[in-house]
Formats: sequence, structure tokens, C-alpha cells
Amino acid sequence: MKKIALVTIFMTALATVAFAGTIHGKVSGVSGESVVYVEGVAGKTFPAPTQHITVDQKGLMFVPHITAVAQGTTVEFLNSDSVAHNVFWPSISGNKKLGHNLGTWPQGQRKSFKFDDPGIVPLLCNVHPEMSGYVIVSPTPYFAVTDKSGDFKIDNVPDGAYTVTAWHEGAKNKSNPVKVAGDTTADFTLSK
Amino acid sequence: MNGKSFSFVFAAVLAILCALVVLSLPPSADAIPAFSRRYGTSCTTCHSDFPKLNDFGKAFKDAGFKFPKDDESFLKTPPVLLGAPAQAELWPHTVYPGSIPGLLPIGLRYNTYFQQVSANRNNFNLALPAGTVGNFIPKSDFEPGYFSIFTAGNFGTGISWWVDDDISVAGANVNGALGDGYLKFNDLSRFLKLPKDSLNLRAGQFELDLPFSQARTWNLSGWDIFSQANIGVQNGLAPAQNVNNGLALEDAANGVEFSGGHAYQGYHYSVAVFDQNTTGVFSNPPNVAPQNAIAYSSDSNFKDLYGRFVYRFNLEKDPASRNEVQAAGTTGPRDHTYLALGTFYFYGRTVQPFSGVLSDGVTPTVLTAREPFYRIGGDVNFNYRTFNVFGVYVAAHDHNLLPVTASGAAGITGFTPSAAATFSGGFAEADYLALPWAMTIMRWDQVKSTADRVNFIEYDPSAPPPSSFFSPYSATRNRFTPGEQFLIHANIKASIEYQIRPQQIVYNPATGLPLTGPFRTNALIVGLEFVY
Repeated sequence: MKKIALVTIFMTALATVAFAGTIHGKVSGVSGESVVYVEGVAGKTFPAPTQHITVDQKGLMFVPHITAVAQGTTVEFLNSDSVAHNVFWPSISGNKKLGHNLGTWPQGQRKSFKFDDPGIVPLLCNVHPEMSGYVIVSPTPYFAVTDKSGDFKIDNVPDGAYTVTAWHEGAKNKSNPVKVAGDTTADFTLSK
Repeated sequence: MNGKSFSFVFAAVLAILCALVVLSLPPSADAIPAFSRRYGTSCTTCHSDFPKLNDFGKAFKDAGFKFPKDDESFLKTPPVLLGAPAQAELWPHTVYPGSIPGLLPIGLRYNTYFQQVSANRNNFNLALPAGTVGNFIPKSDFEPGYFSIFTAGNFGTGISWWVDDDISVAGANVNGALGDGYLKFNDLSRFLKLPKDSLNLRAGQFELDLPFSQARTWNLSGWDIFSQANIGVQNGLAPAQNVNNGLALEDAANGVEFSGGHAYQGYHYSVAVFDQNTTGVFSNPPNVAPQNAIAYSSDSNFKDLYGRFVYRFNLEKDPASRNEVQAAGTTGPRDHTYLALGTFYFYGRTVQPFSGVLSDGVTPTVLTAREPFYRIGGDVNFNYRTFNVFGVYVAAHDHNLLPVTASGAAGITGFTPSAAATFSGGFAEADYLALPWAMTIMRWDQVKSTADRVNFIEYDPSAPPPSSFFSPYSATRNRFTPGEQFLIHANIKASIEYQIRPQQIVYNPATGLPLTGPFRTNALIVGLEFVY
């Protein structure tokens, strides 16, 4: 019985390794950080992550400027400045019905919000209109923020056919079909 | 009327004419793009409708053009140190360390205007003899405004500065002038173990601590009461006046000012001592050091005094929110709901020298009329969210010394007190920020001056008057000024103002009787302004 169990575990692990691929590539045509994520898979849901992510307001800036999270993630908005701030977003991916205003809170305190709707969330502060940040809510747990040269790597993507989207601030999104089989390359060229 | 008094009248009228020409230009208004660059933030961080300050802007100014807390954490360009901070421990054996901004803190501003004047604008020509080519006021007119430079900031150790200068005015480079130019020592109270920010000192040239800044008003035209001088001429009409007080409350003062408190909550006071500048003339050549560099514009050793006290009650129920720089709203920080009550007092003394004779009636001498004066006023300012209503009342009183000529004397031999020359008035204004970029304004200005009406009535046929087209119909001038302002961007503004002007009248120079019934010359002003 023990032997059977060990074999089962071994085979399962082997299958996982064998069928979990990696998407890597480069986002070009723009400079700075971009976000690449796998679009939703029909009929498949993912559990909401339990780990909270923090976005800070510091020195009249959202830090980090771009945050990528999986759908269902709770983001905590911290105010580290000695001036009053506000966080709101007028829409999510252009859907104004999903706009929200978190209000005001003093230095050192934070407010949380669970992002159940995937999309691009433009963060704004109604006191300091120059402040800008983004939360990219990926419909799947398969996403990555590129480095400044545009390189990215998404691990543990099950083999299969997907639509992968690249987003960059101020550029047009680009979605490409990608067939993941082991180590897969997917490059994107964005334009403004 | 003798020749001397006519010259005096003519000079006074000319002075008022010049003053009106200058006053017809919109007042200077400065927002500070230099701070935007330094902190990497929008104009709207400090201004609701530039240059109108919001509560944070008031706190920023109070702190010496710094963020009230943790200023260094907001700087996008580090300052240049003029000595390591640790050098302070060596003082007085070293120059005390300070700093200068890492980015040259200069801002520029330009504005341009369009004016449309109502149909009876040329009525003033009615007094001219037939066939005379008179002045002409066009129905519409485009006019350049100010091109100004301004710089401000702090030197890192509680010392701040401000300098602004109009490089050109109305397209003429020679018309520009220094606005404010001062150094301010913030929070001297820390050396005296007094409450924080309870004592500041500034020195140089500055606008008095008026309830509402005329130099930095957001309106296209300034408030009339702050522009009001008190010039009463002797023209044979009663009551006779002999005051030549060109001072207006909006005038810049040269001197020192002690101040304390905050503009965004609680008390604020200021006490200023400065040159009286009512009839000053430059000494020529300069006879006092610094040699040939600066002449002296005050013709008296008397120093004027100005004091102000205001208390602002923030009305939020939540104490934490009430005591913060900005109130915590449900959808973000905002200006407080508040009520501010203030008062101010100005005391000065004008000097008028006259050529006269001694008591022997023949020996020439200079006789000097020293006429004390005061201005006293109160102000109220109420704000609810984006609706702000405020007003000012001022009463002015000038001692009035009439020249007297002893029997048989060749000239005046002295002065005799007469009824004071007074004026009063003020304004009420409501601003509604309907949208973050659109503000609706309604204003009412009133000035009641004992001198205004008589100054421009001349009925001596041997002494033809200057144009009297701007003569008010009565001693009370009312002006209603609705307006709208739009921020195209945070640094570009379009403003519209319709001035329902005071009633005017034209008099027959020979009889002193009206040539026209009262009429108004209303004007539509459109302004475009940008700062960068």
C-alpha cells in the first residue's frame, strides 16, 4: 500500500513538472515596466490569494507605480506621507461602474480593497492630481511585471493554449495566442 | 480760485487720472510654478483656482514655502547644501550652514485681455468744446497684460524669501515694477521658547497683511476699497478738503513685519512698521549711504503702522479632522468648513509741504501740513465645502488741515483744522467652485468717499477742468461684478468678468451743472492667463 502511494505521489509530481511550462519573452516598443498576464481560461476558476499586497503613498507618489495582482487579491493602500491623501479609480478597464473612492485616511494608516474584477485599475488621488499608479488585476495567477528592459518570465503555466496580454502605461494592449508547451517564448511589440 | 490752488487741483486730478489708468489693469496675480517643479506636484495642491489658496496652500505659505511636515521627503530635487549640517555645531566659529534649492526656483506668468465696453462709453466727450478732437474709447479692445517673473522658496533653516517683478505691463517694459521682495524669518518663536509659529519676522517690501490679497487676487479686477486713495482738493465746493493721501491699502510697504499663527486654523496676527509713502519723493542725488545706490522715497521720518488680527474657527465636528491642515472628507481631503473673523488697523501721517510766508506776511518759507490718518476695518470669511463667501468693511479718516492766509499776507501763513476727509466701504464676494475647474463669482464693491464727487466738479470758467468722464454721480460708488473662471489646465486660466460700473455723470465746466443724467459704462473683460 505504501509503495502504491509513493508511486502515485511520484507520478503526480512528475506529471506536474512535465506539464507546467514557462512563458518568457520581451515587451518592446515601449520603455519601462509592462505587465504580461494570461487571460482567463473558460470553465476554470482560481482561488483568491490570501496574501495581501501593499501599495504605498509616499513622497506624493504611488509606490510601486505598477502593481500586478491576481483576481481576488486584497490590496492595502498605505499613506506614509505627512499630508492627506486619497485613493480612487474612476473605472476598471474603462468600466465606470467599477469606479470606487476609498476616502481619506491619515499618515501611517491603511485601507483595504479586494479586487474581484479583473482589469486595469488606474489609481488616482483627488488632492494631488499628478499622482498616478496602476493595479493590474490579472484574471489568472499567471502574470509578471517586466523589468525595465521589457524582459519577463511567467512560471508554472500549465501546458495548453492561452491568450496572453501585454499592458503598458499609455500604450495599446496587445493580446496574442500562445501555445504553452514547456519553455515557451512570447514576445510583444507595443505602440502608443 | 488762485493759480496755486488750481495747480494743486490739477496735480491732484492728474494723479487720480494716472491712478485710474493703472487701476484699470487687472491686478498682479502670482501662482508659483517653481514649487510645482521643486515638489513635482500640481498647482492644485496649493490652489483651488490659482492664485486662490486652498487650506494646504495656506499652510505651505505659513511654514515658509515648505510642506508643514517632513518637507525634505517631498523634494524631488535635493537642495544644495551651503555647508554641512554638522557645521552648525561649530557656530560661531563658522558660517551657519544653510541651503539653496537644487532647481532654480523661477516662475513666469503672462496674461492677455479683451474688453468690450457699453455704448455710452464716449459720453465723457460731451464736455469738450465743439470741433475739438477728443479721446476715444473703442467698443472692443485687445490688450496685453503682465509678463512677470517670480521666485520664492526657503533656505533650509527657517528663512524663506519671495521676489516678484512685472517685467512688462500692458506691453510696455517701462511700466514694470517690483511687487513683493522680502526675506522672512519663520518661527523665531523656537528661539524664545514660545508656541510654535507664534513669531515670524519679515523685512523688505511686501503687501500688507490684508484680509484678502489684492496683489494675488484671483479676480480680473481688484477690490475697489483696497485701491481707494484719499485725495480731497480745494475747489470751492463744500466741504473744503486739503488732503493728498495717495496711499491705498493695496500699496506695497517697505519695512518690517512681525507675525504669528496660521491662516488655516486658529489665530493669526501681524504688526508692521514701514515707511509712510503717501507723498514721498526720491532725494536726488542720494545723500545717504549706500552711495548712489538707493535713494529715499519717504519724505518723513514718520513710520506707518499696520496691525491685523484674525481668528479662524474650523467647524468640523471630528477634532482630529478639525485640527489637521485639511479636513477629511468621505471622498478625499478638502478645505475645512470654517468661519474667520478679523480686524485690521492702519495708522499713518501724510506730509504736504507748501510755499508760504512767515507771520510777517512777506518772508518766504515752507509750511508743512502733517495730517494723521487711519484706516480701520473688519472682515468675515465663511467656507462650506466649495462655497466661499467673504467680505471686508473699511472706514478711513484723514485729518484735514486747510491752508489759511493772514490778512495782508503774500501767501499762506498756516493751517486750520477742518472736517475730516473720510471714506468707507468694502466688498462682499461669493465664490462657488462648481467643478474643480470652474468657479462662479459674484461681487459687490462699494466705496463712499467724501472726496470722490467734488474732486471732478469744476465750475470756474477761467480754469477749464480736465475730462470729467469718470466722475461718479454721487459720493457712493457701487459695482457689481459677476464672473466665471475656467482652468483649462492647472496652470492656464480663462476668466470672464462683467463689470456693472458705478454711475457717472458729465458736468458743464462753465456752470458745474450736469450735462448728462447718470449713466453707466459697463465693461466685459475676458482674460487668458498662464504660468509656467
